[in-house]
Amino acid sequence: MAEVVLKNIGKKFDDHQVINNLNLLIGDGEFVTLLGPSGCGKTTLLRMIAGLETVDNGDLIVGGKRYNDIPPRERRIAMVFQSYALFPHMTVRANILFGLKIQKVSPTRMQEKLEWVIAMLGLQDLEDRLPKEISGGQRQRVALARALVLDPDVLLLDEPLSNLDAALREMAMEELKRIHRQVGKTIIYVTHNQVEAMTMSERIALLSGGELEQYDEPRYVYDRPETMFSAQFIGSPAINFIDGVIAQKENQIGIDSRIGFLLLDKERFGRAGEFTGRKVKVGIRPQNISYLEHRAARRYSDTSLTITVELIESLGDRSLIVGKVSDEITVRFLITREADIALDQEVRIFIDGRRLHLFDPRTQKNIFAARRKTSGE
Amino acid sequence: MSNIVKISALSRKVFWLCAVIFTVLLIIAPVFLLFKYSISDASSINTGGSPVPLWPYNPTFRNFLYLFSDNQFYGVVINSLLIAFFTVIVSLLIGVPASYVLGRYQIPLRKPLLVGLISVRLFPDIASVIPVAEFFITIEAHNTYWGVVLAHTLLALPYVIFIGTSAFEPIPRDLEHQAMVMGANRFQIFLKILFPLAIPGLTAAAIYTFLLSWDEFIFAYFLLGLGRISTLTLYLKQKLAYAPPQNLLATISVCLSFPVIIFSLLLQKHMSAGITSGAVK
Ligand SMILES: Nc1ncnc2c1ncn2[C@@H]1O[C@H](COP(=O)(O)OP(=O)(O)O)[C@@H](O)[C@H]1O
Ligand SMILES: [Mg+2]
Repeated sequence: MAEVVLKNIGKKFDDHQVINNLNLLIGDGEFVTLLGPSGCGKTTLLRMIAGLETVDNGDLIVGGKRYNDIPPRERRIAMVFQSYALFPHMTVRANILFGLKIQKVSPTRMQEKLEWVIAMLGLQDLEDRLPKEISGGQRQRVALARALVLDPDVLLLDEPLSNLDAALREMAMEELKRIHRQVGKTIIYVTHNQVEAMTMSERIALLSGGELEQYDEPRYVYDRPETMFSAQFIGSPAINFIDGVIAQKENQIGIDSRIGFLLLDKERFGRAGEFTGRKVKVGIRPQNISYLEHRAARRYSDTSLTITVELIESLGDRSLIVGKVSDEITVRFLITREADIALDQEVRIFIDGRRLHLFDPRTQKNIFAARRKTSGE
Repeated sequence: MSNIVKISALSRKVFWLCAVIFTVLLIIAPVFLLFKYSISDASSINTGGSPVPLWPYNPTFRNFLYLFSDNQFYGVVINSLLIAFFTVIVSLLIGVPASYVLGRYQIPLRKPLLVGLISVRLFPDIASVIPVAEFFITIEAHNTYWGVVLAHTLLALPYVIFIGTSAFEPIPRDLEHQAMVMGANRFQIFLKILFPLAIPGLTAAAIYTFLLSWDEFIFAYFLLGLGRISTLTLYLKQKLAYAPPQNLLATISVCLSFPVIIFSLLLQKHMSAGITSGAVK
């Protein structure tokens, strides 16, 4: 059991700053996801925690101990590689027992552990197979078993589900959550898939270009994106961004924008008056725009807008509509499958004034999301 | 339309079948001829104008019996076997660690080293044998077993290192790192992960080395001359000097190939390719 603390961690490959002054505190027994686009440094960070990459600057502290100069094999950390890295010449059993054999654990203890982990991950009857003789999903579980059997303080998982098909991935996500509850280990999970991050983690550390964008519980990352990157990366379909200026009109506070005057909810944006005249980027999630037909009552803070339907894209239970506001500006929003909308039709939509996200165009930071207390101190 | 497809599929099959048969014949035919001659009686070779028969008139193992009754023959076979065996051992003892380093570490001058190794072997043996022999004579390594073993190791080592390097190189680095995270030290990683995975390549190197030593003539001749120790190749040369009958020569040739075939068969099961499949994804 251990808490993982990253203090001003940095890593450079040649001239490329891959990790830049990162601060992160991962609690004992917590399930934290490092989420970010490909190439943002997730794997590098994980390898630094495992000791496979040196820490160029800053402190890596695990369980109260500075780990910077401790070799990988003396860290009580297990890692599942994205490739699974199963030893191809060893059976499933030999793979799982590899670490215990190195540690010279007694045969009876080894057998106990083997049985425990095989039962937990449902690997019965596979013990004598070679990695090439089992399926992708089974390999993923063997890799996990091999890590768990070592009873590590911290478990690092590098995109463990990225090689699985959709159905298997859902099952594996549930299984991972169950295992986390069962063993209570600190888990650092890496993925570029926001659904995995949202579903499984207690907290998400959103990374971009080696920097921490946001570190929070999944619902807050979605509801209160701290940066434009965060707003854009989390949520699907992608958020709409519209330029505007905070303004007052007829006693109402709102945003003067090219799609009209967008009302701001008074409760949510109580302090907005202070910012009058300030340029902003307004983020509007497609989920927060509604089409009149399936909306009974309107709130005072809804802004109504007329658009022309330019594109309808079916997402299964819902459809994504791309609506043209003017020649250059379009907005994306969602309608239920039942809604009856045709191409080129003019429809009225409503933008929820409580759910707008206002960003400073220069710093790209959210002007209103009070930064929740998060990392490393 | 579908008929054309069928015909072309069939003709492709026929083509491949012919190709396979041709290749097999190409390999089998000389071996067969050699064996046929080795069991031929004199009248099946000197036929006095009529064509040589496909199978001897009176097959006989007389030549084998003659050879096996020759004490000198036993001696040289054992010598050649011992020399080849120890050449394999010494070459692997030196070559495997070298291959491990060249295949797994980005050491400085790695590329030039590898190119240099192979270019050493571009010199004709006849050119390099003189300085080597001279040096071996000054250190009194001539006329000894270990001298020949060392000379053959010299010849085999560049290939062993080259093949060995390409056996170690493609092993995914993740496997090494995984073992490291699981607590293994470098030596354990080598012993339990890298070496077992390099075995197919190293086996090929071992077979090659055995073959090289087994039928090596020039260095053996310069170092041993016609002295106390003789090898199978020197023995053959000696016999040739007396213009022996064709069937006896064929018999010696069969005996020369036999151990190589046995050695290769013994090691063959370790050469199964694709042992690394399933390691990564
Ligand atoms: N060993 C290395 N040498 C040089 N650059 C590297 C090395 N490993 C990773 N990088 C670079 O660091 C960046 C982050 O890589 P990585 O941590 O693998 O990203 P992610 O796992 O988020 O996709 C990438 O730009 C990658 O090219
Ligand atoms: Mg990665």
